[in-house]
Amino acid sequence: MREVMRPLARKLFQALLLVVGVTLISFLLMVWFGPDQTYTLIGKNATTEQIAEVRHQLGYDDPFLLRYGEYLLELVTLDLGVSNASGESVRTLLARTVPISLVLMIPGFVLGNGVGIALGLASAHRRGRRSDRLITALSVTGMSISFLVVLIAFQVLFSTPYGLDLFPVRGWRVSGWTSYLHYVTVPTLALLFVTFGYNTRFYRALFIEEIGRDHIRAARALGASESVILWKHVLKNSMVPIITRIMFSIPLVVISGSLLIESYFGIPGIGQATFEAITSGDQPVLKAVVGLTAVAFVAIQFLTELLCRRLDPRLG
Amino acid sequence: MGTRRTWAHLKGDRAGLVGLLIVLFFLGVAATVWLGWLGQGWSEASGGRWLTPNADHWFGTNLLGQDIFARSVYSVRTAFEIGLVVALVSTALGAGIGALAGWYADSWIDGSVMWLKGVLDAIPFYLFVAAIAYALQGQWWAMHLAMIATFWTTTARLVRAEAMKLRSHDYVRAAQAMGLTDMRIIWRHVLPNTVHILLVQATIAFVAAIKTEVILSFLGIGVQDGVSWGLMLAESTQEVLAGHFANFIAASAMLFLLVLGFNLLSDAMQDALDPRGGGA
Repeated sequence: MREVMRPLARKLFQALLLVVGVTLISFLLMVWFGPDQTYTLIGKNATTEQIAEVRHQLGYDDPFLLRYGEYLLELVTLDLGVSNASGESVRTLLARTVPISLVLMIPGFVLGNGVGIALGLASAHRRGRRSDRLITALSVTGMSISFLVVLIAFQVLFSTPYGLDLFPVRGWRVSGWTSYLHYVTVPTLALLFVTFGYNTRFYRALFIEEIGRDHIRAARALGASESVILWKHVLKNSMVPIITRIMFSIPLVVISGSLLIESYFGIPGIGQATFEAITSGDQPVLKAVVGLTAVAFVAIQFLTELLCRRLDPRLG
Repeated sequence: MGTRRTWAHLKGDRAGLVGLLIVLFFLGVAATVWLGWLGQGWSEASGGRWLTPNADHWFGTNLLGQDIFARSVYSVRTAFEIGLVVALVSTALGAGIGALAGWYADSWIDGSVMWLKGVLDAIPFYLFVAAIAYALQGQWWAMHLAMIATFWTTTARLVRAEAMKLRSHDYVRAAQAMGLTDMRIIWRHVLPNTVHILLVQATIAFVAAIKTEVILSFLGIGVQDGVSWGLMLAESTQEVLAGHFANFIAASAMLFLLVLGFNLLSDAMQDALDPRGGGA
């Protein structure tokens, strides 16, 4: 039992160190070195006593460690204060916006990985042949087009009279499946288009390495059919890197992707809330979003580690 | 990995050559802007709004009546300035830190470098830039700083692995036995053997930097004054809904060409410089 526990305990310790690091950086950038909040909270004609009181409330006269501790406590208890811009509690803001972002991003994320795995497998299987070269060329082209360009182009193509004019130009008035599909289609296609190049390239390289391994060559020599080899051996043995990639890209795609997609299409998810917090310098929202996503990422990393250990006993 | 063999490999790679030509073409355009020959009138409202392409305005004008050709050409300079600064600094930083971490593998130096890398990799990039932009309150170099602070980690990881391998080579051990200091060995024998990594990483960082600039400028935390393809695209989001596509097409086509050129070049270099010989 001790042999099992020891590497796990070490991983847990490393994860905790990372949590300290990410929260420390968010704290330093946004709270400690961040702009003075005093005048955001009170008007220009405040008395000296009022200023002193607000500064005291904000904890500006407290020592570093105490203020960092308070930030940690805010994150742990989810007691995140209120938005400077709207006066809404940050916790309600998160509860209102995060579900929208999830239903917005999940279809594109799942499809993006599915298409990437399928194309990568096809490409690796026919390595060097025409279809492989075509897929590779398409991937490089896809990787060379900016996300913003894709968003603008897809909006014009699908949602304006200059194109097909099938979907709403922007917004998010979702009340059921039909309206959901109506609003989610263009963002999903855009996300799919932007990620397929990176995904296909990654999965192709992964599968090519796997196909070259001895046990695959042995299976082939023993007369296993190509589809059995691809599905049973190649795909199954690549599960650990596939899962690692998918898990690791969740926060990046969901947060960074939603930031751009939602601010572009005016969708009231966490991305748009973050965008508004960036433009208005809304510190309580920013520090909550940055701190929580970074901590969530470390947690996901740790869970992935556990999952991969289950799948592949060699990892110990 | 002789220079001549590398060049021979690169010459045989048609896609790589096309990439190189594209990059050199854009570098030439950037040079004409630096020399003051092209793109100088990018901020003047020299015509009516949304003029169609004509002899005076080759690509037409934008919603403020500014010449789109001048703006998109001047943006080549902006792209190269951002790309070069970020690529050079982040690659040099990654090389230095990675070599130190690899040389002193499993020491506290290595431990702290890996910890810092883990921390930086854990914060979603755009949020990190937002946090830095917030802390610096709209300094123009906030964007550069954020990219450098995050882009060095990949280079450092690769150089670290290489340095760990080199550490056990005979000639490095011989240099140690001759009493050369660690710093000297790292400078003379470790870093020169990572050039194949650094060249490829620098092109990747260049591409990442100009693509990131576009997104950040759209979000309002990128290029602060001046003009860039990102700012042009941000403008064009207003224009396309009214049916004016010149700004959008000019900026996105030039951005696409330059990024494609660098991607092709980077792939070809990766194949040509791969010490194991064969390309993928």
